Amino acid sequence: MAIQELHLMGRTVMSYRLWGWVLVSAAVVVLFTAMPGTSQTSPRTTSQIPRMPDGKPNFTGLWQVLGTAHWDIRDHGAQPGPFLQLGAAGAMPAGQGIVEGGEIPYTPAAGEKQKDNLQNRMTLDPEIKCYMPGIPRANYMPFPYQIIQSQRDIVFAYEYATSNRVINMGKFKEAAVDTWMGTSNGRWEGDTLVVDVSGLNGNSWFDRSGNFQTDNTHVVERFTLADADHINYEASIEDKTIYTRPWKISTVIYRRKEKNAQLNEFKCVEFVEELIYGHLKKK
Amino acid sequence: MRHRLVSIAPTIIVAVMFALAAESAIAQAAKPAPGAKNWTPPKTPWGEPDLQGTWTSDDCIGTPLNRPANLGEKLYYTEQELAERQSQLARQQQNDLQEFVAPNQRVGTGPPSHWVERGRRPCKQTSLVVDPPNGRTPDLLPEAQTRRIPEGANNENPKADSWEDFSYYIRCISRGVTGSIFPVIYGNGQQIVQAPGYVTILQEMVHEARVIPVDGRPHASPNIRSYMGDPRGHWEGNTLVVETTNFLGNRTGIGLNGGGTPTSDALKLIERYTRTGSSEIQYDVTIDDPKTFTRPFKVAFPLTQEPGYQNFEYACHEGNYAMSNSLSGARAREKAEAAKKK
Repeated sequence: MAIQELHLMGRTVMSYRLWGWVLVSAAVVVLFTAMPGTSQTSPRTTSQIPRMPDGKPNFTGLWQVLGTAHWDIRDHGAQPGPFLQLGAAGAMPAGQGIVEGGEIPYTPAAGEKQKDNLQNRMTLDPEIKCYMPGIPRANYMPFPYQIIQSQRDIVFAYEYATSNRVINMGKFKEAAVDTWMGTSNGRWEGDTLVVDVSGLNGNSWFDRSGNFQTDNTHVVERFTLADADHINYEASIEDKTIYTRPWKISTVIYRRKEKNAQLNEFKCVEFVEELIYGHLKKK
Repeated sequence: MRHRLVSIAPTIIVAVMFALAAESAIAQAAKPAPGAKNWTPPKTPWGEPDLQGTWTSDDCIGTPLNRPANLGEKLYYTEQELAERQSQLARQQQNDLQEFVAPNQRVGTGPPSHWVERGRRPCKQTSLVVDPPNGRTPDLLPEAQTRRIPEGANNENPKADSWEDFSYYIRCISRGVTGSIFPVIYGNGQQIVQAPGYVTILQEMVHEARVIPVDGRPHASPNIRSYMGDPRGHWEGNTLVVETTNFLGNRTGIGLNGGGTPTSDALKLIERYTRTGSSEIQYDVTIDDPKTFTRPFKVAFPLTQEPGYQNFEYACHEGNYAMSNSLSGARAREKAEAAKKK
């Protein structure tokens, strides 16, 4: 961290190397003394992130992930879409995956299930039916979400399907019942918001490619503000019933900066009723 | 613009007259609870009134939206009437408990009574509508009288040709803003979470999350319309005032669960949330829809806290077996009737 500081500042004082070192050392000392309690993170970045009155990072705002992880969280090439009529607009763009190491460590049986899911995506993918997206999928769908951070609890209001969750920042609460969005318990590790998600009902997928979870899946998310407008997001995923080891995803969440950006309403139920109930309509 | 202002002038005049007339009734309704005289409303660390917590409209469950005509302009029950209602509540709670524990008791096919939520205190009001003084929803304009109310299906008169015969509530889409806070048999939780610049109200049933900016920004474009509208809040003293516009027309109404005659795209709601004690918020909402009602009107009731009350995930659409079952039941009945005719 200090090395990065030195590197950036060093360039401007290249011709006065000795003076440069003196200046840089002084700058680093000033930065450190000006910000007590932030020694775990880079002084350069912590000076730029929004903070709550108590000094905690303030995640409040409208956020969205860029990229194509909502199609497939693994590395993937471009592919045609399922509907001829949609042409290029319905095709799947290529994209770098967000899975660390590239592969999801499925057991052989689970690997088969993923392939089966993909083959039958049109009837099995919960997104198509406007079902709640679950965690972590909600975080990197192609929709914004609003974070509302109070002095204690933190709300994530997702645009897709009006789904939402409240991160309990008080005493740890066991999941009372399995749910689509799970039970979120948060804590602070320095400037990182760590969210433990349990009680997932196992009906959610990770993406449109059939990557899936079960009601044993345990997700631990880490949100760290890299600067005022970017969150480094990581989630570790553990489920002995379908994965041979814990695995991790990581991506960047971007702040929506447009002047008039706001959370809109995407109540998708009425877009799927014909699909779900059409066969039961009076002929 | 000038022309437009002139054309809405009568509405403004009516609204002002109405506001003056309603003031005394509302002042009474918003009066702090006894013993709360020296209570200071809390502030958030960033200096705004703190409304946070999980609140419910449970105390006014069962209070009709419209006052029975025989009660005239009587908005509040007498002390004696309240005492009677309090003992009714106590008996009800006793019954809930008995049904819950008694084995081999005869039960109906409906949910047991302990499933529904109960208020802890009797509602002081005779109706949820507090203005006009007769406590009744104003008359509908002729153009609103022809709007279709989805009748849903009942056993005697099934009308289940399509999902569109059901209310937006039954379809798990929305109950609208007022339908999401007016007291019904359960799911009345309102969890308020604030951040600098925002107030969020999370409503259990149909999992609404109203994100209300309180930073002075203008409304979204009128081309962006929605079931829950576009809310903007500001603080007046300790009161959160929320103005919501940009509604889709002809969806939900100003009834329980969003029932009743659907409102129009001209609907404007002004809600006021005032903390009147450590466990009470006085809520009121002015409903102004110049394409539906002959005048604006006001609904008010307290939101209170119950120890241990929390919102749960209400995965309504995900588990909407009722829709499939109602539609397939109607198709089966048609098939049976057709077979009979042959």
